[in-house]
Amino acid sequence: MTSNPLPVNSSRLGGCTLTGAISVTSHVRDAVTIIHGPKGCSHHNVSLLHASWLDNDHALLPELVSTGLSETEVIFGGEELLRQAIRHASGHEVRAIFVLSTCIVDTIGDDVVAVCSEEYGVPVIPVPTAGFLGGTFHDGVNNALIALAATAMPCQKDRGINIIGEMNLEYEVEENYAEIARLLSLLGLNVNLRFVHDVTYDQFARLGAAQLNILRSPALVPVGEYLKERFGTPYLPSFPHGLSGTLSFIRSVAGACGIDGQAAASGECRRQEELIAGFADLSHAPASLEPTHAGTDEILVAEELAAALDLAAGTPENNARLPVSAAIGTAGTRRMLHRWRRAIHA
Amino acid sequence: MPECNNPLWPCAMTGAAACLAGFDGIAVVIHGSSGCYYYPTTLLHAPLHGTFICEEDVIFGSEGRLVEVIDGLAGTGKRIAVITTCVPAILGEDIRSMLDGHDVILVDSPGFSGDVETGYGKALAMLEPGIDPASPGVNIDGVCLFDPFAAGNEQEVRRLFAMASVPVGTVFSHDRLDRAFHAAAFTVGTNGDFPSGIGEHLGGMLGFDEIRTTFTRIGEVIDGAVCDPVFAELDQQEERIVRACDKYLHRYDPPVAAIFAGSSYAAFAARVLGQYLDAEICCTGIRTCHGAAATGMVEASGLSRVKELIHTHNPDLVIGSSFERSVCGNAAFVGIIPPLRGSILLAPAPRAGINGTLSFVEQVLNACMDKKI
Repeated sequence: MTSNPLPVNSSRLGGCTLTGAISVTSHVRDAVTIIHGPKGCSHHNVSLLHASWLDNDHALLPELVSTGLSETEVIFGGEELLRQAIRHASGHEVRAIFVLSTCIVDTIGDDVVAVCSEEYGVPVIPVPTAGFLGGTFHDGVNNALIALAATAMPCQKDRGINIIGEMNLEYEVEENYAEIARLLSLLGLNVNLRFVHDVTYDQFARLGAAQLNILRSPALVPVGEYLKERFGTPYLPSFPHGLSGTLSFIRSVAGACGIDGQAAASGECRRQEELIAGFADLSHAPASLEPTHAGTDEILVAEELAAALDLAAGTPENNARLPVSAAIGTAGTRRMLHRWRRAIHA
Repeated sequence: MPECNNPLWPCAMTGAAACLAGFDGIAVVIHGSSGCYYYPTTLLHAPLHGTFICEEDVIFGSEGRLVEVIDGLAGTGKRIAVITTCVPAILGEDIRSMLDGHDVILVDSPGFSGDVETGYGKALAMLEPGIDPASPGVNIDGVCLFDPFAAGNEQEVRRLFAMASVPVGTVFSHDRLDRAFHAAAFTVGTNGDFPSGIGEHLGGMLGFDEIRTTFTRIGEVIDGAVCDPVFAELDQQEERIVRACDKYLHRYDPPVAAIFAGSSYAAFAARVLGQYLDAEICCTGIRTCHGAAATGMVEASGLSRVKELIHTHNPDLVIGSSFERSVCGNAAFVGIIPPLRGSILLAPAPRAGINGTLSFVEQVLNACMDKKI
């Protein structure tokens, strides 16, 4: 593949805002997402969600409706098409309708917000997306989360924790969530809301109740700031990566919630020592890290882990290339270590 | 109503990419954003290039970016094909004049212009393939990268041609580029939804009856063709199918089948199920309206329509994609069209040729027995 992006503009590879927004809105079980654009745009995303959801043992597909924009609407405008699609969707038993636009709709100048502001008898929430004209995949995620958060009202705080912006297309999304829930349980804390992962529209009402928001990644900081301003909820900017990152995470959550986290951190530290001991057979194995698709955080975590295992520097002839990926918490680190052992053995 | 719930079929841009990326000697450039690029790349598993335009290219013009990418490919020795996506197609830029001085195939097939078959046909037409009277043998048609059975189909037809001492002409669309301009005078099909229109069509390769008829024609028009070994294998393998299906019918009632596919594969599945299993075809939904009226099939291009048909007819066997599998409940399922997500496909499985029918019947019987229809 030749991507040939301009080196000064990495956003060229940032993907589509539409896909990012759909990855969020499709996880509201009792809502419909309308995609105002050609059928092809919707199909691309339906197919992607289909693959992703099947990977997570979730056979059913979300309700995604394409307005089916054709050459006629490209010439004469597609607002009436959108209006019809919203009316049709609102006639079914849906709790809300999310309207996402596409780059072609932005280019022809349809006023999506105006059409959505008409009365349909059900909340119609436009999400700012315009394919690549609206930014990148991450912008789509952020825009959708903020648009959905705007529907919730401030409410009484309790001790729960919100998980914000899980990567719903991620292969191990459920495993990563389970690890965060486990770490929180060490501190006696529960999850208030997965915002947004497999929820109903009415559950958004609990968004403001959490005492802390935990963001999946630092790319969600604009969402964290929005929620902080709207509900006064502080946030941690990322799920924990690797061994020391997990211990720091426990201490940070404890600090933010006013809990003594020393016992929890010590217990987790012992768990990690046992984990490393279980992979002692990798010690001194000649290996190098394969960081092609890894970010800075992932590489730092892998380097820490390689040092803990006392791996040897490999030579070109005798060198296992160890995959580097996001290792969320101690459990994610354990899974990466199994992949490293596989790489060393095969 | 133009709106469509969960559209199940890709756009024209993807079809154009599926056609051109199959030719060795073409560098395919998707002129559009990364979002439009990623889908055909992941679907087709073929090397594609992209201009990855962003907002500034829309505002200030995309010429600089397009020319930059094309210049970067100029030294590869490949002919460059540029496929436009939705936004570049309506920007009003004269892409043809931008590319003056470059030997570029320009395919204007934005997503809103139609479906995957439309784009495939348009791209192949822009390639301007031709017949060379000196080229021997028979072309293989309908080999489209979008079809998960394309590689298996090609292998299987090559095997049958080898048995019959028939030279393989050009494979549309999976061949060296230069062979597209020197196609043989005759063609057989593997998937009629992706026709090239090149050469005299001798018939298809879907189902034993069709294979027999086609090889009879091949024997008539191709000098040196020795088709008896193919006929012998057809007889031998058909007997195996008959025995397996007869054994099945000893114990079970015939399946009531709903078929969802392109029109060519749908017709194949209906013929095979009816012929060997006395199956009742309760409905046949095809992805696009091409040929729907002529064949009595109904269009089922969105998931709601598929659900409705399955709910109405309550089949105990569903033939389709993994979309159908996701909504077919307890019915037995066999995959025939993309996407086939949620299962791992490593070996090139055919639907065409003798092995294609064997494979299909085998999967149907196993699926039905697993579900104890």
